[in-house]
Amino acid sequence: MIHSLLAQTVIAYLLIFAVPMLLPVAFIKLVGLGGLRALVTYEASDTPLHRLDPRLKVLYPIGMGTLSILFSWKAMLIVFGLTILPWFWLRPSRAKIRVLMVMIIGPALAGFWGQGMYYLPPSPIHFLYKFPWTMAWLGSPGITSYGMIFGTEQTARVLVTVSTSMLILVSTDVSDFTWAFERFRAPPHVGFALTAALRFLPEMIARTTLVLRAVELRGYDMSRPRWHQFRRWPDYLKRVSRCVVLVTVPLLVGTLRGTTTMAMVADARGFGASKRRGSLRVHKTTAVDVWGYVILAALVVAAIVLNHLNIGARYYG
Amino acid sequence: MSPAVPDGQLHAEDVSFAYVGAARAALRHVHLGVAPGEVVLITGASGCGKSTLALTLCGLIPSRVHGELRGRVTFGGRPLSGLKPHEASQLVGMVFQNPNLQLITQTVQSEVAFGPENLALPQPEIAARVDECLDVTGMTGMRQASVVTLSGGQKQRTAIAATLAMRPRILVLDEPLSDLDPVGAQEVLGTLQRLARDGGTGVIIIEHRVDEVAPWADRVVLMDDGRVVLDQPPRGAWADRRPWLATGVGIPDMVRLAQAVPEPFGSVLPLSVADAADTVQDTWFPAALAAAAADRASGAGPPAGHPPRDSPPPVLSWEDVSVDFDGNRAVDGVTLAVNEGEWVALIGANGSGKSTLTGLTVGLGQPSSGVVRFRGKPVRPGKVFVHAAQVALLLQAADDMLFETTVRKELEFGFRFRARPEHPVLDVSEAIEFFGFGGQEEASPWELSQGGRQRLALAALLVGAPGVLVLDEPTTGQDADHMRAFLGLLDRLRARTSITIVTVTHDIRGLASRASRVVLLGAGRVRMDGPAGRVFAATGELDRWGVLAPPLGRLQSALLGPAAADVLLGVDELAAAVLAHRPDPAAAGRGAGALRP
Repeated sequence: MIHSLLAQTVIAYLLIFAVPMLLPVAFIKLVGLGGLRALVTYEASDTPLHRLDPRLKVLYPIGMGTLSILFSWKAMLIVFGLTILPWFWLRPSRAKIRVLMVMIIGPALAGFWGQGMYYLPPSPIHFLYKFPWTMAWLGSPGITSYGMIFGTEQTARVLVTVSTSMLILVSTDVSDFTWAFERFRAPPHVGFALTAALRFLPEMIARTTLVLRAVELRGYDMSRPRWHQFRRWPDYLKRVSRCVVLVTVPLLVGTLRGTTTMAMVADARGFGASKRRGSLRVHKTTAVDVWGYVILAALVVAAIVLNHLNIGARYYG
Repeated sequence: MSPAVPDGQLHAEDVSFAYVGAARAALRHVHLGVAPGEVVLITGASGCGKSTLALTLCGLIPSRVHGELRGRVTFGGRPLSGLKPHEASQLVGMVFQNPNLQLITQTVQSEVAFGPENLALPQPEIAARVDECLDVTGMTGMRQASVVTLSGGQKQRTAIAATLAMRPRILVLDEPLSDLDPVGAQEVLGTLQRLARDGGTGVIIIEHRVDEVAPWADRVVLMDDGRVVLDQPPRGAWADRRPWLATGVGIPDMVRLAQAVPEPFGSVLPLSVADAADTVQDTWFPAALAAAAADRASGAGPPAGHPPRDSPPPVLSWEDVSVDFDGNRAVDGVTLAVNEGEWVALIGANGSGKSTLTGLTVGLGQPSSGVVRFRGKPVRPGKVFVHAAQVALLLQAADDMLFETTVRKELEFGFRFRARPEHPVLDVSEAIEFFGFGGQEEASPWELSQGGRQRLALAALLVGAPGVLVLDEPTTGQDADHMRAFLGLLDRLRARTSITIVTVTHDIRGLASRASRVVLLGAGRVRMDGPAGRVFAATGELDRWGVLAPPLGRLQSALLGPAAADVLLGVDELAAAVLAHRPDPAAAGRGAGALRP
């Protein structure tokens, strides 16, 4: 039975669409708009990571991201491991951990699965499951072990930058970012744009949640069918699409009102009054900062040297 | 040549302003002066030009809001209109209504430092300003806190501190209390008074909540249709009631009482409860009040909120309901029932669990334990659109509940997705007539006034035939006239449909006093449950849970002490009660205790 064309086709469809369908469900169930809000919200605390030199914090994701590109897969695993360690130091809230796990594991799974199906290694190809000819229109001959490994490698490289950026985002007050950018001679507008985005993104998400509630209170059905209620899914997707149109007006009106006020507040607080800005922050370099700079510099220099010596370097042939 | 203006005085001279494209001027020939250390309350009906005046006084009109400006605004004789916003803001600072929209950074101290940093001041100067402003606003202990974790009052105080860090000589605040509970409002008003008294900062407060601000003000300014129609010290501001009645702006309860029962108050027009209590303490008023209270106690029936055993099942009930958010208990074992046709007000400080509790009635959120029922059937969490046909929940931000292009389509909105109810509370044509939308059926909801949009959202919910109306802070930010109109609408609605109403409110004086039953929530639990008069008599218990009793309730408690078991909440009602028990003038000569039967 399992060798029949029909069965093989059904299994192939399940394999292809299982992950793409699971990911949005996992996102909605485990993260949702509220979780997204938690993700971009700064958690005030007094850990060494919070006190670290903001300039080092800006350089850290850039440095580690560069390493993830330069190194071979095995060496990259060490880099990836290094980026995970500071999370234990930070000890984020449980809600944030849940969201972070979904945001990290989700793309990892997508990369792993997608490359497993669509990355074609040189022959001979070892298929974990070969798709029948009926699946040819999707452009994938099947799931390959090499493709999955390749997908894992690529995803891990991306996750190095994602993990380090997230770590910095949740442990750094946005005014510290602004301070660091100013020390790097970036225009004040760069810092202000980041400040505004990080401050008002959670507000925007909260507002969207409120308007979506209001739609339901007005009698609009936003209830999701169960996964096996296939006939109801097209109607659900249609309702969701229409809802996007419905909520646009109140969201737009509210946002425009908010940005006008915010612009006036920024003006009144003297933003743009001077080309240079002052700063409340006085950063005294600590031993932790020095060690941080030394480790980051050593890692980057070592990576470049090793790369030149062809040790742990990526193969581009 | 203008007359000499004292240094540090803000002066509006014959100021008129019309927005671009507006047919009518928003400000018309306004003259106003504010001196350092003075607290000025500016009030008036919605749309009378108060906020436009605020923007003009701080120089954002004409620099950031465009239109035709005539006359001039000067500070110490120097015109503000020629200054850049950051220059003007160091003379006159502005605090806007919604603190969420004016907190730009993520922590309290970085927010306060934002302005001085923009001015490129040296670090010691920035640090000194931050310390000083946090100290004066009472926020020093929260300097490292993330702004999203602050309460409404703390956010507003942070916004004030951030504005003060620009070192303005005058501070203009546009409805700073609108989103605050009474305790938060008192925090902010205390801060403003300290600023004026100790720091010499001139403070202009634009506010509808006259009752709360008047005791703190040195002058009261009333606006109508873009003009200043009254500018007086508070004790003289209400001597002539006509401008207040004409504009529909609320008169403080203590003033109304003094005018309704003038004899014990003499020539004093009290502005606060303490003022009033001190004034009448040694007159016949307390004895008459006590006699009226004794009369009511002897004729009192069984307490409301506890229906007889054979009464029908409740329309809404919470049975031992608890709700947890991220490990915190927002609602803790609440058991409560609302009977058919009742009007129940849920009161409590911010974060006491009121909105969480009412959200459960339509399936918003999920109880961690316990059951919520509508007419005996459990409410299913998440099935909001199903329960919306039974319980209408009007959100505080009614604008966010409007999605259509015309009034009629807005009313028909729900029927696009579900069948029309067989027995609606009001059908669409009745709703158009009842809510006063005749002739506006094809108008865009956004062409209606704020009050009109709120009525439309309410009408749209009711045509779906719910049996219960749940109102979440429906009168927040509304002037007295709109509030009266809204309350009148609810009265007419109840008279016509006998609908059950549950209100979540901080508006103790207006809305909660109107309810047949008041439930006090504190830290997620029911702390008191009974008729409004009895709950508001327990000022100690209300204080304990962060709720300020209405002024009339506090006055009766102050005069009667523990004997005030049931207070009267209407000025007319209270005046009638004490006048009915005033001493017989003939017997007055024989002793103060001679009271009418």
